[in-house]
Amino acid sequence: MSTVHESASLTPHGGDGHHEDPPLVTGNLGFHEITQLVSYHTEKRPPSTWYMAFAVSSTLLFVLLVMIAYLFWNGVGVWGNNNPVGWGWPIVNFVFWVGIGHAGTLISAILYLFRQKWRTAINRSAEAMTIFAVICALLFPTIHVGRVWVIYWTLPIPNQMEMWPQFKSPLLWDVFAVSVYFTVSLIFWYVGLVPDLATLRDRARTALRRRLTGFFALGWTGANRHWRNYEKAYLLLAALATPLVLSVHSVVSFDFAVSIVPGWHTTIFPPYFVAGAIFSGFAMVMTLLIIARKIYGIENIITMDHLEKMAIIILVTGTMVGFAYITEFFIAWYSQVEYEQYAFLNRSTGPYAWAYWTMMSCNLLFPQFFWIKRLRRSIPFLFVTSIIVNIGMWFERFVITVTSLHRDFLPSSWDYFNPTLVDVLTLIGSFGLFMTLFLIFLRFLPMVAMAEIKMVLPEADPHYYDDHGDGHAGHAAPSPTGQTEGAEGA
Amino acid sequence: MIELPIIEAPEAAGASSSQQRFWRSFAHLRKDPAFAEIAQHEFMPGATDPPSGASRRQFLQLLGASMAMAGLSACRRPVETILPYAQKPEEIIPGIPLFYATAMPFRGVASPLLVESHEGRPTKIEGNPQHPSAQGATGLFEQASILNLYDPDRSSTIRRDGDAVTWDDFVAFCGQFTGGAAGKRVVVLSEETSSPTALALAQQLGQAFGQFQWVTYRAEGEDAEKLGMQQAFGSPYRPQYEFGQAQVIVSLDADFLGPTARNFVHATRSFAEGRRLSSAQDTMSRLYMVESAYSVTGGMADHRKRLRSSEVPAFAAALAAQLGVGGMGRAGGQFDADPFLAAVAADLQAAGAQGMVLAGETQSPEVHALCAAINSTLGSIGTTMTLIDTGEQSVTPQADDLAQLAQDMNAGTVDALVIIGANPVYDAPPDLNFRAAMTQVAETIHVGFHVDETASAARWHLPRAHYLEAWGDARAYDGTLSVIQPLIAPLYGDAHSEIEVLSALATGEDKAGYDLVRETWRNASPPPIAEPFEEGWRQVLHDGFVPNTAYPTTTAAAQPVTLTPAASPGDLEIVFRLDPTVFDGSYANNAWCQELPDPITKVVWDNVAVMSPQTASDLGVSSEYSEGRYYSDLVILSFDGRGVELPVWIVPGHADGSISVTLGYGRAIASTRDERTSPFWDTDDKTDVYGHGALATGIGGNMAALRNNVAAPVGTVEVEPTGRKYRVVTTQDHGTLDVEARPLFRVGTYDEYRQDPSFAMEMEAPTPGEDEKVGFEEYPTLWETRHPAVEAAMRDSSYYRNQWGMVIDLNTCTGCGACIVACQSENNVQVVGKDEVGNGRELHWLRLDRYFISHGDETLSDNPQMVLQPMPCQHCENAPCESVCPVAATVHSPDGTNQMIYNRCIGTRYCANNCPYKVRRFNYFNWVKTLPETVHMAQNPNVTVRSRGVMEKCSFCIQRVRGAQKRAGLEERALADGEVVTACQQACPAQAITFGDLNDPNSAVSQQKHNSRNYEMLAELNIKPRVSYLARVQNTNASLGSGEA
Repeated sequence: MSTVHESASLTPHGGDGHHEDPPLVTGNLGFHEITQLVSYHTEKRPPSTWYMAFAVSSTLLFVLLVMIAYLFWNGVGVWGNNNPVGWGWPIVNFVFWVGIGHAGTLISAILYLFRQKWRTAINRSAEAMTIFAVICALLFPTIHVGRVWVIYWTLPIPNQMEMWPQFKSPLLWDVFAVSVYFTVSLIFWYVGLVPDLATLRDRARTALRRRLTGFFALGWTGANRHWRNYEKAYLLLAALATPLVLSVHSVVSFDFAVSIVPGWHTTIFPPYFVAGAIFSGFAMVMTLLIIARKIYGIENIITMDHLEKMAIIILVTGTMVGFAYITEFFIAWYSQVEYEQYAFLNRSTGPYAWAYWTMMSCNLLFPQFFWIKRLRRSIPFLFVTSIIVNIGMWFERFVITVTSLHRDFLPSSWDYFNPTLVDVLTLIGSFGLFMTLFLIFLRFLPMVAMAEIKMVLPEADPHYYDDHGDGHAGHAAPSPTGQTEGAEGA
Repeated sequence: MIELPIIEAPEAAGASSSQQRFWRSFAHLRKDPAFAEIAQHEFMPGATDPPSGASRRQFLQLLGASMAMAGLSACRRPVETILPYAQKPEEIIPGIPLFYATAMPFRGVASPLLVESHEGRPTKIEGNPQHPSAQGATGLFEQASILNLYDPDRSSTIRRDGDAVTWDDFVAFCGQFTGGAAGKRVVVLSEETSSPTALALAQQLGQAFGQFQWVTYRAEGEDAEKLGMQQAFGSPYRPQYEFGQAQVIVSLDADFLGPTARNFVHATRSFAEGRRLSSAQDTMSRLYMVESAYSVTGGMADHRKRLRSSEVPAFAAALAAQLGVGGMGRAGGQFDADPFLAAVAADLQAAGAQGMVLAGETQSPEVHALCAAINSTLGSIGTTMTLIDTGEQSVTPQADDLAQLAQDMNAGTVDALVIIGANPVYDAPPDLNFRAAMTQVAETIHVGFHVDETASAARWHLPRAHYLEAWGDARAYDGTLSVIQPLIAPLYGDAHSEIEVLSALATGEDKAGYDLVRETWRNASPPPIAEPFEEGWRQVLHDGFVPNTAYPTTTAAAQPVTLTPAASPGDLEIVFRLDPTVFDGSYANNAWCQELPDPITKVVWDNVAVMSPQTASDLGVSSEYSEGRYYSDLVILSFDGRGVELPVWIVPGHADGSISVTLGYGRAIASTRDERTSPFWDTDDKTDVYGHGALATGIGGNMAALRNNVAAPVGTVEVEPTGRKYRVVTTQDHGTLDVEARPLFRVGTYDEYRQDPSFAMEMEAPTPGEDEKVGFEEYPTLWETRHPAVEAAMRDSSYYRNQWGMVIDLNTCTGCGACIVACQSENNVQVVGKDEVGNGRELHWLRLDRYFISHGDETLSDNPQMVLQPMPCQHCENAPCESVCPVAATVHSPDGTNQMIYNRCIGTRYCANNCPYKVRRFNYFNWVKTLPETVHMAQNPNVTVRSRGVMEKCSFCIQRVRGAQKRAGLEERALADGEVVTACQQACPAQAITFGDLNDPNSAVSQQKHNSRNYEMLAELNIKPRVSYLARVQNTNASLGSGEA
């Protein structure tokens, strides 16, 4: 531990870490161990569990493709959507996946700007998860339209009809919001990957691997100039992505809030959706990382402290979401509008009450156990809760979408929504798509941002003094940040 | 593609002989062919050969061209040949429909029609506006009959013993048969008919054969009204009720506003006259209803008493006694202390000649006679009850005729039986065992639309021509003579009309229907057409009817009738009624009718055993609603050892201890079409209603088995639960409407209306941001300070001059359903089948919302008020659907309608979600992909047939609006009020729908908008619907509570 703290370094990663903080990386790993630990997994044969997982997820992906083919051949009627419930599971799944896709950019961008150094262990995989979740999310609104072959009409492409999309429609805002979010997230992720790709390039044993990683590493040499540009680009992208994290789900919530359907027409939706998205996103990151850190043996990098921090965020956002649920009820009562009141009464006591109470208990009740530190640090409990939270969040979207639609103004039109097998298999299939992409990511790319995590090692601190003399960071002669790369080699 | 010049190699080096020559050998010098050969292949085999086949360049050219062409062909539609008329028929302009006047025979009376024809293809049916009894309106059966014409399961060939034969074979057979006719006994068993030609042919047959008998067959049973009138007046006068003249109407189980009523259009129209309120000074009639099952008439009642049909005679007797009708003593009975009866009697007494009592088809002739006697006592004969003298001398009960006929058939004394339009094997009382009896007759000749139950039992089956395919004649309810003129040659060459068949049988010769009708009319005395005949005939073809040929009316005093109410039929009665959607089964193969929800139960594609909640709980049966689906207990209804399985259905307001069933289901129609088989990845099997044989076959249960030997409308029944469940599909959930909380359907009493004519507006929630209601011209919107409709682009449109709006009067709308079928026919609304209705995907643009109203009084939950409310697209000014569409596929037109642009729609369904009225309909599958070819012919060519994945909804019949505007534009004049008529409005017999231009302060719709009862549904959402409603006013009797006794 450092004993002297003078001025802070000017770089965000400079690491004027408070000495009372527990180390972010345990096991007393040096730079090389980290490189070795992370890169190794992209180079060796993946573990047999990877193959098993890949077999399952690619099968599910195949199921998804079959379901989409069946849907395109026959029409939207293969789902359970009906007249009052025009939007069923596809939109529920869309909002669910967009929500999942919030944690990554939040971790990368917002926590970056807030100098939360613990993010470095999880940001890479969280960002990857974001991109894959947004891919899943984009899939659903695309396939849910009645005539998918003219979906491009939602894009402002100049055309012979001289028709623009209708800019008043929240669905169009969605198109822009989600695609911008996807693009920025992808670029952000890729920019963050560049130094690590260079590491992989330098470690590559085969020509093909060297060429591929070299191509994507964009000629990175770890030069000072590269680092300077990189840091600047990263900062700018973080600044660009930060408002997007808040705006995307706000815009998604406009799909509902801008309508006049009782139960949708609510001004609380934007913050409530954003909180819910972060809530579910962190839960998904937690689910994935609890498995990955175990299988890949990187418990020293993604430590219990990381998981605990995520648990705290889940607790906070879960409570916010729960508060929003209760506020909605209050406002419905306070509005004295029959239709609003009925919509909420119907949610909690109507035919979908089971879904409502599933949502309530999963999202409001379960995260409250995180007040207890022992549970926050219990892997099985974290794992189970993270799954429960995502079940709850899927139901939240279901409750909002379906229970509001199935009984609105005119009792004569009230009906019930029953999902079909195709609905179910499409949802399961979308997990196949997500997991397949995520497994490919684990196989070929470093799942932890090596460059960034090295920056938060004590050794990276210019003022680091090696108390213990274990030789891991040289002797009180800390290398400049940039030199943590490149020099590593195989 | 750029054509590059191909550089040709020089012919051969040696060709340039003018120069010096160099040679290598003598062979070369001599140009030896062998040398040339060697020289050619000097280097390596094939190197100097020109490429065989296509060159690389050619290959690439071809490749490019074929790619381009392949791409091009994908852009092209399949080639369709349109043949112009080589000789254009007179009057036909392609694209401009023609209208022909004709008539549809329905329950023995003519329904006068005006039929739209597109290039020789009839597509839409309207009432004949000039005819005194139709006045342009129709019922749902007239509207649906166009689809019967195009029914893909219609029989197309003549069969003898099941083998296809020709019409000539039949005529030859008739020639032989009539040969030794003198001693032969021929019986015609016919549906009710009013055709003078058929009657003339009957006489001719009587002369041709030694013994001839004409038996009229009614599937529903006895014509109790006719028998009752005969009992009361000595002659079977036909009563016509003038509801518009009445102050107090008492209906004893008479569903006179129901679509199956024989005089439906007139009854509805005159009833509406008595209910129309344009100001608080207007008076309205009061309707008391006593009935066992809720009917649309019951829904219109001011006071309704639920009573078992078998107890209605006792009620009638008690009422007669109370009114002092001759012959009825004040016998002690269950109704002595009944406040309802006392109120009815007092009211009738006060109304005098403006009072009226009528009995329904479920009641015996005696009850009908008693009602006539009451009317006679009240003095209302000649005022509210007109007697029409049809010239018929006497009638005998059908049951006697049928019993005699069956006996004769079994005895083998009938030589030939001709069955026209009737289906006795399906619906005759089972005691008669008609199928077996038919085997005892040498020649049974069936004339019908389908190879149905009776056709399969008959020796001869002759496909019957539809009324739009054949000449004929008929008389309207009031007797006005109509000509039935065909609009199209028979779709199947073998089809013939019944008069052609009868004529062939009578004469042994083939005679055209046209000649037969004209012959009858020429020879009739008095002749219906004044000389010269041809001129008059042409006028009749134009008008569709002969004016002033109505039967004379008469007045007579009813004889006193003594009615001893029969003993009650035990604990449980069963009441048989004609089905309000498939009639007696003759519309069972009509997809529109099957999919039209029953007005009360909202059940589609099935018949059910309707009962009250109390009866259901007594029987231990239920209809469980679970997750959007109704699973009803299947029960076996049995009578006399015969049982029929039927699902139960519970309707509040039904009489306890009574079960109501409808006829017309459980048909067995043979279809020649193949069973649809599609690969497993294709849902066509599931979604094609026409894919599995005849539509009607296998749907519901045949109630004939439960009927007694006289086919009495009320019988006894035993109910035994099977313990199994059956999925019943409805278009609507159960549910009562809390009027206070959701003022969707607004209703007030007549007194309230007198005191406060705008009571409906006061039930309205305040509109946010608006202190006072503003008209449709002002549109505060979220988006613009000025509404797009007032932008220059809109104002410059010539459509801007008209601003369309609609008013629906809930005080006259009965909810019969004619508008729904009219809309379906006009706008090519497709049918989705039972399963898909169950999935909530029905496509009706216009629906009738049914609500039960309990007025906050839970004790009324067993007997609530029921109301029906037509629900088309409301064409909101601030349409919530328009602003959410990402591709602007639903937009506002300059004339204020909300339009759906099908070819722009991508199907996000956001608009449907955001529609507070839920009137938008989505094409979840491609419903037209599998339509049989004949059904294609029923589609309106002026309306797009929607494909899969697009939204659709009521368009205010925009094709009619534009058509009328085009006509007015060509004639360089402004549109007149009433020139544009929507399909629903045109069909409506109650004239409850007013449509027109809101810009014209004198238009009917503008006037209606100023009616004090006018209200807009969900106006508080600030969406400014263009459709508004006139609140229902109930003329309740102060001495009774609201709604019920």
